Amino acid sequence: MMLRLLSLAVFLFTWWAASLMAGEQMLPAPATVLGAIVVEARSGALFFNLGVTLARVALSFALAMTLGAAIGYLMGRVRTADRLGDPWLILLLNLPALVVIVLAYIWAGLTEVAAIAAIAINKLPNAVVTVREGARVLDARLDEMASVFAIPRWRAFRHVVLPQLAPYIAAAARSGLSLVWKIVLVAELLGRPNGVGFEIGTAFQLFDITHILAYALAFAAVVLAIETFLVQPFERHASRWRQRAA
Amino acid sequence: MRPAGGSALLDVEIEQKTFVTAAGERLEVLRDIGFVLGRGEVAVFVGPSGCGKTTMLRIIAGLDRDYRGRIVRPPGARVGMVFEEPRLLPWRSVEDNVRLAAPGADEARLAALFAILELTQHRTHYPGELSLGLARRVALARAFAIDPDVLILDEPLVSLDDALAVHLRDELMALVDSRPVTTLLVTHDVNDAVRLGDRIFLMSPRPAHVVAEMPIATPRTARSESEIAAIKTEIARRTNGNRTAATRDAS
Repeated sequence: MMLRLLSLAVFLFTWWAASLMAGEQMLPAPATVLGAIVVEARSGALFFNLGVTLARVALSFALAMTLGAAIGYLMGRVRTADRLGDPWLILLLNLPALVVIVLAYIWAGLTEVAAIAAIAINKLPNAVVTVREGARVLDARLDEMASVFAIPRWRAFRHVVLPQLAPYIAAAARSGLSLVWKIVLVAELLGRPNGVGFEIGTAFQLFDITHILAYALAFAAVVLAIETFLVQPFERHASRWRQRAA
Repeated sequence: MRPAGGSALLDVEIEQKTFVTAAGERLEVLRDIGFVLGRGEVAVFVGPSGCGKTTMLRIIAGLDRDYRGRIVRPPGARVGMVFEEPRLLPWRSVEDNVRLAAPGADEARLAALFAILELTQHRTHYPGELSLGLARRVALARAFAIDPDVLILDEPLVSLDDALAVHLRDELMALVDSRPVTTLLVTHDVNDAVRLGDRIFLMSPRPAHVVAEMPIATPRTARSESEIAAIKTEIARRTNGNRTAATRDAS
């Protein structure tokens, strides 16, 4: 915790020093940005936009993770599914986010559904690949144990399979969260009337660097909080049986 | 020896089991293995390592269905198995590992089992915190906890130091005697075989078949050291005799 605070202090100091050298016009000082954050918070706009963006992140993230984990598990376990799904997967993996978003808006209109679906499609192949890797290295010896002892399918999945997949799901979740929140902003910039991405787009047209930084930092703080208070405790809980290493 | 009231519980008839190697070669592992075990009988299989004993156990356990022959056991028979490695779930505590396999086992029964196997103070530990000897005991506890009709033990005492193996063998004996459970034990240790078995099956090298069956009439607990020594000599004589016969066949 002390180290984290220290590293944060170094970041703020570097920022402040850089803004002194570059000038307020190019890089506003931390205090200026904080002031902008407070103004936005007072008017309620900050919380509204953060909330809207966060809701989009949560929805598309949940959608992509659920579908991605299910498809990845299937592809890792069933050879035919892997053969069938692989070309699609490679296509999706290499499709630029911008293309998906633009096409979604053209085909489904500038709607919430289009935005969330487009973001989820961007994240989906990533989750599939990671969870498929996990499903491929599942321990066959433990499956045999479950089979001899006639452990019902669902119980075996819950106690034998899922704990083996947990690190892969956590990895997919972590890389997914950062990916989704980057893509969400693009989707908002291109076709939503609110959210952090929309605010940053407006600020860009006005060349309002303070406003851009205010929203970017506020959202980064939210993501950091999610990582610290949700993702990490989950990982600690899931790996409590490991001998304390690393 | 068939114990009183010992109706057939397990009827094994394996005509042939072959593997196809990575090079595409067909490898015959088992040939014409047949026996019938009654309730509560302990059958011990002794044979050279790599002869296919584990493959046979896997077929009997229902893990390998790709063979010619048939395995008959009463419908709904519960099978408990101790694999060569303990095969515990590293992310579940000792107690949860046992309970997962035996959700119906009541607390009194588990407590008794943990007491016999000296696991009582390890209940909340994770398998990663246990020595191999302790992990094997947990695997034994798991197999017994389900109150099995058929118990399959694949070298449960291998790679333990002698003192521990003897101790664990005594515990195993106590468990097998505590209630009638049809048991198949694979071992390369003649000593274990003679002390634990009701019937000893001597297996040939690959393709494995039963070269001799030796029933032991005296109950496990009543065997004298001299009787045990005599049976061991007999096994040594038969296995050596077989080996010379095999060499003669090959030449």
